[in-house]
Amino acid sequence: MLESRATVGPYWEKPVPDDEHLAQQVEHGREQHLMLDARPPAELNQLTLATMRQTGPRFWIALAGLGAMTLAFLTAWAIQIFSGLGITGLNRSVMWGPYIANLIYFIGIGHAGTFISAALRLMRMDFRRPIARAAETITLFGLACAALFPIIHVGRIWKLFYMMPIPNQRELWPNFRSALFWDMMAITTYLIGSTLFMFVALIPDFAMARDHTTGWRRKVYGALSLGWRGTDGEWHRLEVVSNILSFVIIPVMFSVHTGVSWNLSMAIQPGWHSAIFGPFFVVGALYSGVAAVILVMIIVRKTMRYGYFMREEHFNAMGIFLLILTLSWIYFYFAEWITNWYGNLPLEKAIQAMLTGPLAPMFYLMLFCNIVVPLGTLWSRRVRTSLPAMFIIGILIQIGMYIERVLIVAGSLSRNELPFNWVNYTPHWPEVTVTLGTLAFLGLLYMVFTRFVPIIPVWEVYEGQAMQESRRVGRAVVSTRTEVH
Amino acid sequence: MAEERNNGHKWTMIVDLDKCTGCQACVVACHAENNVPISSEDEVIRGRANHWIRIERYWEGEYPNVKARFLPVFCQQCGNAPCEPVCPVYASYHSTEENVNIQVYNRCVGTRYCGNNCPYRTRLFNFWAPRFDEPLEQQLNPDVTVRSPGVMEKCTFCIQRIRRGREQANIEGRPLEDGEIVPACAQACPTDALIFGDKWNEHSRVAQMVPSERQFKLLENLGTEPAVYYLKGGETHVGE
Amino acid sequence: MIHFTRREFLKVSAAGTATAILAGCAQETERWVALEPYVRAPEEQLAGVPNWYASTCRMCPAGCGIIVRVMNGRAVKIEGNPEHPINRGKLCARGQSGLQLLYNPDRVTGAVRQEERGSRKFEPLAWNEAINTLYEKLDAAGDAVALWAGSTTSGHLYDLFARYAGAVGASAPLRHDLTSALNGVGTLTAANDALFGRSALPSYALAQADVIFSFGADFLGAWLSATGFGVEFGQFRSQPFGKRGLLVQFEPKMSITGAKADRWVPVQPGAEALVAAALLRIIADEGFGGPARAELAATLAGDVDLDAAAVTCDLALADLVALARAFAEAECPVAIPGGALAGASNGVAAVTAVQALNALAGAAGGAGGLGFMPAVPATLVAPPASSYADAQALIARMNAGEIKLLLVHGANPVYDLPPGSGIADALAKVGTIISFNPLVDETSALADYILPDRTYLEGWGYEVVQPGFQGLPVINSQQPVVGPFYDVRPTGDVLLTAARGIPAAAPALPWTDEVAFIKEQITALPKGASGGDDDEVRWARFLQHGGWWPEAAPESAAPELTAQGPVAAAPAAFEGDEGQYPYYLHLYPSVLLGDGRGASLPWLQGAPDPLTTVAWQTWVEINPATAQALGVDHGDMVHVESPHGAVEAPVYVFPAIRPDTVAIPLGQGHSDLGRYARERGSHALHLVGVTLDDAGANLAWSSVRVKITRLDKKQALARLESTIDPGEDIHVPF
Repeated sequence: MLESRATVGPYWEKPVPDDEHLAQQVEHGREQHLMLDARPPAELNQLTLATMRQTGPRFWIALAGLGAMTLAFLTAWAIQIFSGLGITGLNRSVMWGPYIANLIYFIGIGHAGTFISAALRLMRMDFRRPIARAAETITLFGLACAALFPIIHVGRIWKLFYMMPIPNQRELWPNFRSALFWDMMAITTYLIGSTLFMFVALIPDFAMARDHTTGWRRKVYGALSLGWRGTDGEWHRLEVVSNILSFVIIPVMFSVHTGVSWNLSMAIQPGWHSAIFGPFFVVGALYSGVAAVILVMIIVRKTMRYGYFMREEHFNAMGIFLLILTLSWIYFYFAEWITNWYGNLPLEKAIQAMLTGPLAPMFYLMLFCNIVVPLGTLWSRRVRTSLPAMFIIGILIQIGMYIERVLIVAGSLSRNELPFNWVNYTPHWPEVTVTLGTLAFLGLLYMVFTRFVPIIPVWEVYEGQAMQESRRVGRAVVSTRTEVH
Repeated sequence: MAEERNNGHKWTMIVDLDKCTGCQACVVACHAENNVPISSEDEVIRGRANHWIRIERYWEGEYPNVKARFLPVFCQQCGNAPCEPVCPVYASYHSTEENVNIQVYNRCVGTRYCGNNCPYRTRLFNFWAPRFDEPLEQQLNPDVTVRSPGVMEKCTFCIQRIRRGREQANIEGRPLEDGEIVPACAQACPTDALIFGDKWNEHSRVAQMVPSERQFKLLENLGTEPAVYYLKGGETHVGE
Repeated sequence: MIHFTRREFLKVSAAGTATAILAGCAQETERWVALEPYVRAPEEQLAGVPNWYASTCRMCPAGCGIIVRVMNGRAVKIEGNPEHPINRGKLCARGQSGLQLLYNPDRVTGAVRQEERGSRKFEPLAWNEAINTLYEKLDAAGDAVALWAGSTTSGHLYDLFARYAGAVGASAPLRHDLTSALNGVGTLTAANDALFGRSALPSYALAQADVIFSFGADFLGAWLSATGFGVEFGQFRSQPFGKRGLLVQFEPKMSITGAKADRWVPVQPGAEALVAAALLRIIADEGFGGPARAELAATLAGDVDLDAAAVTCDLALADLVALARAFAEAECPVAIPGGALAGASNGVAAVTAVQALNALAGAAGGAGGLGFMPAVPATLVAPPASSYADAQALIARMNAGEIKLLLVHGANPVYDLPPGSGIADALAKVGTIISFNPLVDETSALADYILPDRTYLEGWGYEVVQPGFQGLPVINSQQPVVGPFYDVRPTGDVLLTAARGIPAAAPALPWTDEVAFIKEQITALPKGASGGDDDEVRWARFLQHGGWWPEAAPESAAPELTAQGPVAAAPAAFEGDEGQYPYYLHLYPSVLLGDGRGASLPWLQGAPDPLTTVAWQTWVEINPATAQALGVDHGDMVHVESPHGAVEAPVYVFPAIRPDTVAIPLGQGHSDLGRYARERGSHALHLVGVTLDDAGANLAWSSVRVKITRLDKKQALARLESTIDPGEDIHVPF
């Protein structure tokens, strides 16, 4: 039973079967699946680290572009603070506009990261391994950008600390009945939880980076890796902590977007006051989030030459996931629409009439982006594995979901109980600048982040690869997986 | 949370739609009393006209049988106000003394949540710093704050007049009399379409008028329990 | 009965204390409220405690009583004087805005000289120099001096000028402005003279009326005394036993009075006389309202084509008969002529025809709704209003070079008269023009000197109120409620000082200052409602209570009909060929800006017009059907052209206007008058010619037809209302 150690090679040196047919099968498996294409960890480390230090001209051009846009955003924000919110297109009926839509949107794209990482981890989905960190990073920066928006949005930013439960001599506390306060708590919790979750998984990679770098980088990585040595006990604790955090973060994730939806549904504004908003927003967030992760995967794979890590199978899996979310989103959207339509309340009808009337171009573009294109294409594996196609679909879903949020926030507000006070909303330059600038800011953060932090969780990849085994069953080679708990 | 009868006052306004001529006297009186800045032409076009009390005009029918109906709308001082629970900083809160909805300007951070949640859209946001060309600032009422940019504001039932009146009565050691406290709008209204008083004082004019069969509350179905009662306009037919 | 609460009593007593101190001292210097530092505050001033002073509103000629809240030397709020018989504690939007005249950023801050007329480059002038200039010019002009006063020029000032003019042999001051024309002052007095032998403005007791037929008179908006009528209307709508009266409004474009009417009848412009005559005819023929009324109606009614009359109202004849019956059988019916009716080419005839309906009420023996203010039992009389013909005569004299010096106070003839009057050219032929107006208006811009008078909140005065309410003769008091905000001098004092050097005038104007003159006039009055045994007390109470009026209304009977024969029913004539100019032009004063003098005040500019909810702009009201035919919608710029001129303005599609009529509010289109008024909107008076009405005295300002051309331009309307069509599902929640 016990074989001599000498006969067990390293896991990346799988013996090639003598049988030519079987050998072809194994070869095919390696080409198709990252988990079967095991390579020495050192090689993977190099693969990961190599592009981290590369900053070609295109990188700098992109960085300068995104930086300029970020600067424009900060300038617009500064002007807005000094001159007042009057420079926006908000009016006496529509007091919330794209800033709140942006809050929802950015939290939304931050949703998928944790879901992919934590939920798929618990479900032991191996396709998450190389993309988990790329997704988590979106969560981190998406949330950070989202958290900017309540700050950008308020009229008196210098009094924002009134919203925080800080002990004070007047014993004035925030209003715990306000959905905005719940939302703020949920976002903060989620941001802290996600950061922690991400950081824990980063420790071995920081250690790996520490061991492969010199100078100040080594010092920084050394500090960040918290003295990781890779002992059995450390791996074990990492496993336990990751699992616990995975369990904890998932309910928080659901609470965050439910909380965001409550900002709207707790109000008595027609078009907002809907019980379905909680799950609807969670699904919507996952939808735009998964699409965002696909976009990031494509960009990272292209620009950092991570073709080895991100393969067709990953895009295929994410595509299927996206298709499921498309269907779920359609279900919720029309559940809401039909309830309003069937309810036949004058104001809800007025909102629907506005969507299909003056706002029809926006509305139908939204339906095209969110329903027609994903539903019409994602069933095909060829589309799912085609990077250009997936890129376009991802962009369209971002546009569609963004329009949806703006329509819900600013569109609904333009119709209220007394028709004398209906005012349509038109965005002015600050909203446009801030929105695009924040997107650029997200990209900027992401770009810089990829040059300092291993965007591929290498240890997860070789953990997965190490657990793969090929067995021969009859004439076939079957990949199996070992899990030790 | 709905309010319950307490030892305070229940300030109430009655708007007799039969008498409102839409003449805007109340609007200008309110601007004068409460230091409400005037919106410029561009601001009005952008849908930001700033009046604590506005006279909504609804057309009914078509020429030649067309009617114009005036509806003065201002903060309804809801007993169950939708704006109160949504404010994260308690800038919009309910006074248990006066039983009106109070906006604390210096507490407001400007989330504008209350504005969205007001079905009457009577809450206004200070999009800009208020501007009074010199020396127009001389006209400002020293009893009322000029609101800084970025805060919400709304009709207060002229709380400064309520306070002054109550303090005066206190100093003189007597109970408040009905009609002693009158907000600027009701004070100005030529036709007496606005009547103000304490509904919990059963001898007040307001308390006696509220049970009118013409009475209704605006958007009553929302359960906001407004402290403003409207009296429906009537019509005399030729030959009656 | 005036309700007088304890609080109001306190207010007025505060005013009393203050005015006693102000007025009680004989020294000239103490007639001015001086701003004192807080460390040496006047006794009656406490930080945070307001003082209330009674005075008179001069934003329009109605003469409402006001009380002004003054805190530490700043006037901060104007309210209605609760004691005053006209407005009874109420005050309209324009009255409230008086503060912005006082604190207007564009006030002329001292005497100035303009080197070149119209250059708007002003050089400051020391007041002694300014007064000396006035003296020199007056001296040089002799009897070739003319004064152009407005309807809000204080009574005492008019009287002083009149005395001066009389002394030097100049013609009496002219008192004419756009307000007088729009109010139809000349037309109304002429009609009353013809019918009742009373050459005065009528008053109407609406509170007791059960039926009101208003022909074009927007008495709740901008006609004569809107606040007084508003108070009465409130009582009209809440009479005992739930009686709320019947108000029928005959007008081509709905005014706010029309909006409050139980029945709005879109009568064809110019056909009001026909309708009134038809009503009389029906009452006479059918014997409605008892024999006395029917008989009287028979004497007044001429031959009228009843069917034609019904057609002009878009009514079936049966409806017109029902209206006639409702009027005749009412206990106290009132008919009010006004508005565009008074500006029609048959103005006097039309007003007479409507006013004749009022005679019926008196015929039944009741008090009747129509009344005339009893004469004040003293030397004080309301200054006569000059007609447009008088203004034309003065313009002719200017053109002939007969006027060497023109003094302008409270009027703005360049804005107030149609360009066809030739006022601008005439002014160029006047040797010297001195304006006393507080702002640089269109006329002051053409003046050589501006010697700004104090605004009414800083100055003294009195005013004999016209028309009265409750049958009371009323003389208003006006006193400074704050110290003069700028280095401006009361025109009365300036005139008295200058006149001292003129031998012919000096004996006629012996007073040291205007206060001495006012006091002399007031203390000569009999004891009024506020009592007082000696002159000082009476004078103090006059100021304290805001005026003088008798304790009880003098006995008055229903005015007696002196006219004979049927009223004229011929329709008005309109300039412009119907084929070329298809639409009637209906001009009306803005509820907020009045005849245009409110345009300098941001509160009035920024408050929305009641019916269109438009602020800051001029617009053209067009019926939806007409708009559709013209292919225009809200905010489309149109070119409105009459035989006399053209203006451009955006369209407001107005559901309550006749399809053959377009309406434009007056009040905007100033080329001067400060930053809030300048270059804003257009002045529709430019469409009007200078034809006179049937009496040959008044401007027929409502007698043109226009054509409309669509321009390829848009101007977003500054509407408070939603610009979104709510669709049919949305019901107004009341």
